[in-house]
Amino acid sequence: MDVFILLLEGIFVSFEPLNLGLLVFGCLIGLFVGAMPGLGSVNGVAILIPITFIIPPTAAIIFLAAVYYGAMYGGAISSVMLGIPGASTAVATVFDGRPLAVKGEAMTALTAAAVGSFVGGTVSVILFTLFAPPLAEVALRFNAPETFALMVMAFATFVGLGGDDVPKTIFSILIGLALSTIGLDLITGKPRLIFFNIPGFLHGINFLVLAIGIYGIGEMLWTLEETKGKVQMSKLSVNMKEVGRAFGALKKTIMAMNIGSFLGFFVGILPAAGATPASLMSYGITKQLSKNSKEFGSGVPAGVVAPECANNSASTGSMLPMLTLGIPGSPTTAILLGGMILWGLTPGPLLFTQEPEFVWGLIGSLYIANFFTLVLNIALIPAFLMVLRIPFAILAPVIFVLCVTGGYAPTQSLHDVWLMLLFGFAGYILRKLDYPVAPAVLSIVLGPLAEKALRQSLILSDGSMGIFFDMAEKPIAAIIMYIAIVLLIMPAFGPLYRKFFKKAQTT
Amino acid sequence: MSITNKITVKRAEIAVAVILALCSIALMIKSAENRITWNAEENMGAGFLPFYLSLGMLICTVLTIIKFVLKRSPQSKDNSPFIEADAFKYIAVTIISLVILVLAIGYLGIYFSLIFFLAFYLRYFSSKSVLFISVFSLITPVLTFLFFEWLLKIPLPQGISEPLFYPVYDFMYS
Repeated sequence: MDVFILLLEGIFVSFEPLNLGLLVFGCLIGLFVGAMPGLGSVNGVAILIPITFIIPPTAAIIFLAAVYYGAMYGGAISSVMLGIPGASTAVATVFDGRPLAVKGEAMTALTAAAVGSFVGGTVSVILFTLFAPPLAEVALRFNAPETFALMVMAFATFVGLGGDDVPKTIFSILIGLALSTIGLDLITGKPRLIFFNIPGFLHGINFLVLAIGIYGIGEMLWTLEETKGKVQMSKLSVNMKEVGRAFGALKKTIMAMNIGSFLGFFVGILPAAGATPASLMSYGITKQLSKNSKEFGSGVPAGVVAPECANNSASTGSMLPMLTLGIPGSPTTAILLGGMILWGLTPGPLLFTQEPEFVWGLIGSLYIANFFTLVLNIALIPAFLMVLRIPFAILAPVIFVLCVTGGYAPTQSLHDVWLMLLFGFAGYILRKLDYPVAPAVLSIVLGPLAEKALRQSLILSDGSMGIFFDMAEKPIAAIIMYIAIVLLIMPAFGPLYRKFFKKAQTT
Repeated sequence: MSITNKITVKRAEIAVAVILALCSIALMIKSAENRITWNAEENMGAGFLPFYLSLGMLICTVLTIIKFVLKRSPQSKDNSPFIEADAFKYIAVTIISLVILVLAIGYLGIYFSLIFFLAFYLRYFSSKSVLFISVFSLITPVLTFLFFEWLLKIPLPQGISEPLFYPVYDFMYS
């Protein structure tokens, strides 16, 4: 009952004129950002975060969450119409969305994507409302050792579940953490890693500099290389008959909706996972369980619904650990978490008691955003198609302008703009060589929090690392740490398992 | 053989791994300017964390190099060009123009630099008319100015062009 009242209050908060205006604006921007090839929620949120400095934190989080949400819807548009995923979260949507468009059923694909996103979004917001308060209650009992253990688990999840090259993943985590140590040491006050005595390093490296560099500049370079500045779009006829036919085709996608919504939510909660693996997994499982699995890939609506349900559901799921534990569930929530720190908030369970308007305003806004995004998405399809026709060679310099101004604005230092360019170029090259970049962004956000928790814990234990493994004194920290260790060593067992399994099969 | 064919994925992989290893060593040396020890009495030195994080980075890059030598990574067997020849022009020109943009911002100021950057970039890569390019290159900095200086009250760098903006500020704040 309490939850219901708080939720109602949250919905009222999101209906305040400023919040509602920003919510609709955020949904619109998100839809466009998601629809543009090469730009996803993470790029949109990273580039737009400096804009939120002039508005109250509640309005800021509602705006950015709406951008995040809208981008999940929008990603499908370019996947279907251009055959290029609008964002990595919409990669799986191409598998069946593009063949549908090629067959002349683009409207069916776009409707399946919009309705799938709406169902996934609705289910996940309900799950979020139910799970968030009890999880925050548990997290209230967390002290420095538990917090540090959680952070270690967040890093370990990237290694255990990320699926990327292990040394490269660990390198990415470590370089993010190392970059977060630049500046003044928080305990001794001594300057650390001040290269060539450049004073700009004294204030440390703002996570936005890395995030905009990697997800703005780096991503644009990547997309310019992929598209070579051009676009190739399918034909689409929009009329009521087509829309009716598209809705009719959705009757056979109930299973895909269920798999996408629930699996997406739980995968979204995991720190390393987020919406991309959630959508790929949902597509794979729906295909496996479908009676018509052989038709997947040739253009079936269920193949569009499953990933679209999942990526929306995962985006909401990834906000659950961000709000309750202070651990982001995806690269986008890592940037949102950094934003919360910039707005003067302390992410974690205390937010529920100290900033109820912020938390419940955000949760309430997700319900509203889900509805508005569905309506805007379907209503504005012709407008999106016009925007998609803009060659990338025109869009790219505009994004570069936003990156340069966004990199400069937080600290008003050209030093940061140079760093942002450097990170952008480096991120582009590293990504081409399969170095995952998301762990570095997560680490630079969590680095200062993790270091503080580690050093507080060690002061508590007189310098003994045993505090993290003491089942009698700190059972939660110890359990989380052991899970983290299992996740860290898990990739080592992969080849052994495969070897054993192959041997067993041959005998 | 063009330069893009010479730089294969295989060569890029090992070159980047070696550069990252060297950067890790440089970070370790830099971290050692502070105390890098940790004991119960003195707790953690300011250089302890960065030093061991850099050491971890070095170990990871060495593992990447070992995987490369043993041909265990996909990149170690990939002889395709690191950047395709037709995409190289886009990447190289973009990077160079961005570097020149930031250099120019420090001297000319952001608004005039943006005009030149946008005009050059659009002229080079798009097939739009001179009129479109001129209008687009002028409107974008104006909107940037209005958004940052008027709405957000965040001054962007103006370099030697700063005196030109005094009348605008007089108008805005009068």
